Amino acid sequence: MNKKVAIEAKEVTKLFGTFEALKGITADIYEGEVVVVLGPSGSGKSTFIRTINGLEEHNSGTIKVNGTELNNNVKNIEKIRSEVGMVFQQFNLFPHLSVLRNITLAPQKVKKLPKSEAEDLAMSLLERVGIPEQAKKFPSQLSGGQQQRVAIARALAMQPKIMLFDEPTSALDPEMIKEVLDVMTELARSGMTMICVTHEMGFAKEVADRFLFFDEGLIVESGTPEHFFENPQEDRTKLFLSQIL
Amino acid sequence: MRIVIWIKENLLGSKIDILMTLISAYFIYFIASLFLNFVFTTDWTLIQVNRKILLVGLFPEEQLWRIWTVFSIFSILISATIGYLYKLKLRNSIFYILILIIPFLIFTTMNLLVNVLIILFFSIISYSVFYYLKEKKLKITSRILLLSWLIFLPTLFFILILFGGPKVTLWGGFFVNLILAVIAILAGFPLGVFLALGRASSYQVIKLVSIIFIETFRGAPLIAWLFFAWFVLPNFLPNLFSLNDINLVIRAMIVLSLFSSAYIAEVIRGGLQSIPKGQKEAATALGLNSIQELLFIVLPQALRVVIPAIVSTFIAIFKDTSLVFILGITDLLRIGRLIPEQQQEFYGKSIETLLVVALLFWVVSIVLSQVSRSIEERLNVSK
Repeated sequence: MNKKVAIEAKEVTKLFGTFEALKGITADIYEGEVVVVLGPSGSGKSTFIRTINGLEEHNSGTIKVNGTELNNNVKNIEKIRSEVGMVFQQFNLFPHLSVLRNITLAPQKVKKLPKSEAEDLAMSLLERVGIPEQAKKFPSQLSGGQQQRVAIARALAMQPKIMLFDEPTSALDPEMIKEVLDVMTELARSGMTMICVTHEMGFAKEVADRFLFFDEGLIVESGTPEHFFENPQEDRTKLFLSQIL
Repeated sequence: MRIVIWIKENLLGSKIDILMTLISAYFIYFIASLFLNFVFTTDWTLIQVNRKILLVGLFPEEQLWRIWTVFSIFSILISATIGYLYKLKLRNSIFYILILIIPFLIFTTMNLLVNVLIILFFSIISYSVFYYLKEKKLKITSRILLLSWLIFLPTLFFILILFGGPKVTLWGGFFVNLILAVIAILAGFPLGVFLALGRASSYQVIKLVSIIFIETFRGAPLIAWLFFAWFVLPNFLPNLFSLNDINLVIRAMIVLSLFSSAYIAEVIRGGLQSIPKGQKEAATALGLNSIQELLFIVLPQALRVVIPAIVSTFIAIFKDTSLVFILGITDLLRIGRLIPEQQQEFYGKSIETLLVVALLFWVVSIVLSQVSRSIEERLNVSK
């Protein structure tokens, strides 16, 4: 199979003060691949995906996104951010803007899309995530699940090639988790390259091509879901899986 | 009937309620009767005679059209802004009219009434036009409005000064308080925004300069700064920008603007800090650059949070303008003190003039605070 590398991380480290959050992460993520990142809290999994679009600056090592290296060059950072969409645990919708405006803002301001085009795009995305009727409302008028779906639509509006999900369902009430996971599943099936930090094992098992298990700033084990569920090698992986399953 | 129920529930609910109601009622009666007794038994001719001096000081009679023009433009602009920003509710409008009628009753004579009605007419028209434009969702509306406010300041000076306008030393009365407040607010607000952003900036030099500016101006009382402008500034900066020649009113404007900008900056900084980090991260992740992030995400939210605090700063600035008597400017309060001292027929009648002075300040302050409440209510809808 001829797979192109979408994200190439080599020996990536990240320090917060004296705390080593990432101690040298090396991983290749291929185009169209869905990677689920697992690990106990504080293991560096969120930090890792936040370094990919430069929300956290890595201290050493290299990160390449579609061949563009993430460094101090503003052009490169801009290019990478235009290719990488991100969905946050706390949704981070803009509360002062309507749902529609939340989605159209970046395409209009960054990509200079005309207003009517941006709105058409936004409406089609809202339809895709199943809430076109909420376009005129404000984020606070929506349920958590709806807000997270808007956040996904907002990220998709920039037409990214890669989507990062940072615990997208952790802040949701249980009955709303499914609607968000459904959208993510649909997205995964459409061929989007995705990296998801999540504890939703059902979802992970269903859509993931590969698991990365993080602990204490290192990738301890990686492999297919079958490998993880049937035959994990490392003790730490076994312990973690026994705790969450 | 609702009133009866309200009275029963709130004023006569329990024995303690009844007692409190009786005590307060007597207290209110006592104060009100003293006050009303004074109002209706006093000879108010001194206000009638000094009407013009209280409002505009020694501004020459034949030049008054300049003030009328500025006042008209200002009310038309305000009405347009209100029309653009929100729909007036009937209840609020009645409140404004009731409040604004008080000074008109005191100060408006028949020949002025025509002017006032003309201004009112044009204000209502501009309100309706901008309300209509907003409904049409024309993008140009907000730009026209912003541009008009931007050119308002220079226009104001042109109208007041150019083509043989009276010397600035002749400015006085309530007019001076209003114009000082308007300028301090219009100049201080943008400067305050920049200072707040500067203080939150990651560029250390900008940050340091902003902090020094803010802390210097907040660190000393306004009176001290006015004295500074009066005595020290001319010696301190010999002939630079020919400051010696700059009129005292202008100096007062500069000091008030700088002073208010420092306070506004601190208020806005509080708003900036209340914006969660996630908002910036989301904007960054979407590819917005830092200026776009500021303009579209951070500032709109930060300003919203601090509107009540900003308006109370505005009110404080407006009342502080009465301190310019330090510079020998005959503002409303100064004139209110001078009339009973210098006009023999009204010798010692301080209470009358001071009451009217207080009333004028009160009317403007109460309108401002009501405006801030309306804006808050409106913003809560979208929250």
